[in-house]
Amino acid sequence: MSDLDARLAGLPRDVSPAHDLWPAIHASIAASESAQRMRRWRVPLALAAGLGIAVTAGLIGWQLARMQPETPVGGLATAGFAVPASAQYVSMRAALEHTYRERLELLAPATRRRIEQDLATIRAANADIRRALAADPESPVLNRLLESTWQQEFDLYTTVVRNSEPATQGNRT
Amino acid sequence: MIEFPEAAVRVLADERKAIAAAAGGSHSAFEQLYRRHAGRIYGLCLRLTGHRETAEDCVQETFVSAWRGLARFEARSAFATWLHRIAVNTVMARHRVRMATLESTTDASAEELDHRAGEDSPPLDLEAAIAALPGGARHVLVLVGLYGYSHEEAADALGIAVGTSKAQLHRARQMLAERLDLSPEGI
Repeated sequence: MSDLDARLAGLPRDVSPAHDLWPAIHASIAASESAQRMRRWRVPLALAAGLGIAVTAGLIGWQLARMQPETPVGGLATAGFAVPASAQYVSMRAALEHTYRERLELLAPATRRRIEQDLATIRAANADIRRALAADPESPVLNRLLESTWQQEFDLYTTVVRNSEPATQGNRT
Repeated sequence: MIEFPEAAVRVLADERKAIAAAAGGSHSAFEQLYRRHAGRIYGLCLRLTGHRETAEDCVQETFVSAWRGLARFEARSAFATWLHRIAVNTVMARHRVRMATLESTTDASAEELDHRAGEDSPPLDLEAAIAALPGGARHVLVLVGLYGYSHEEAADALGIAVGTSKAQLHRARQMLAERLDLSPEGI
């Protein structure tokens, strides 16, 4: 064996990354799963959307899009879920979440369970991404993933509220 | 008949169970697989790219791709081999994009630029000398010289001819010998 071969053979094949990459991988997996699930249950729930809710949702979406570039990493923690650091957003989100909770009670138990699982997945992804960001705050990939969890939570609330309006359901034939 | 050590058989059986559970949606089972293989995959990506951050990105992409493709994984092949293949594809896809970007913005060839990037820093050790090799030579050296690929396997993974793989390995070894001040007999 040559000197070079001996040196090559002496190099370790396994090298530990400087930090744990699993939280970011897990967050990415959870985020994509959540998006897939939401697409699946939206179809059977396709009921009419309420105009008032649409306006509120639009306002929140606009606010979210407007604030994202200035939002500090991690944002505010609201019930364990980091959201953009804005009192206006937090207040609008709280109102939407309140309506979501009310409407959730109107849905069939199986549907409710699936939605709650989706929300738990989004929240777990949000927590994982925040943990990963603590080690790598400037990562553009992680910051985009964190923003996507805000949007997914917002989408989930909006979809449930829109598709479970009591008056709309009652008028359906 | 060759008998595998009992411990190795148990490890393989555990891995098979973890693969099946992960394919069924278990994140914790997939984490076990990640923990078992992350070091090898990171080492491979680090040597192929020569950059820590790029290697970390490649490891993440590799495992996310593996998760998405678990249903298509065939137990006939080794999981480690399958992961290696995904990792090499991920690194090469990034490399191709980088080379295309460099070539479109400069007059020099991307291969020249790739090499020049490593010339400024004097190699302190073998790892640094490998990282400073031009992309084509580095890729073949890492796969064949370090991770035990045959030239046929390396050529297939890198999308090059077998003859090119052999020529790149020869080139890589000569360059390493020069940078490490090895005598001709040491190559």
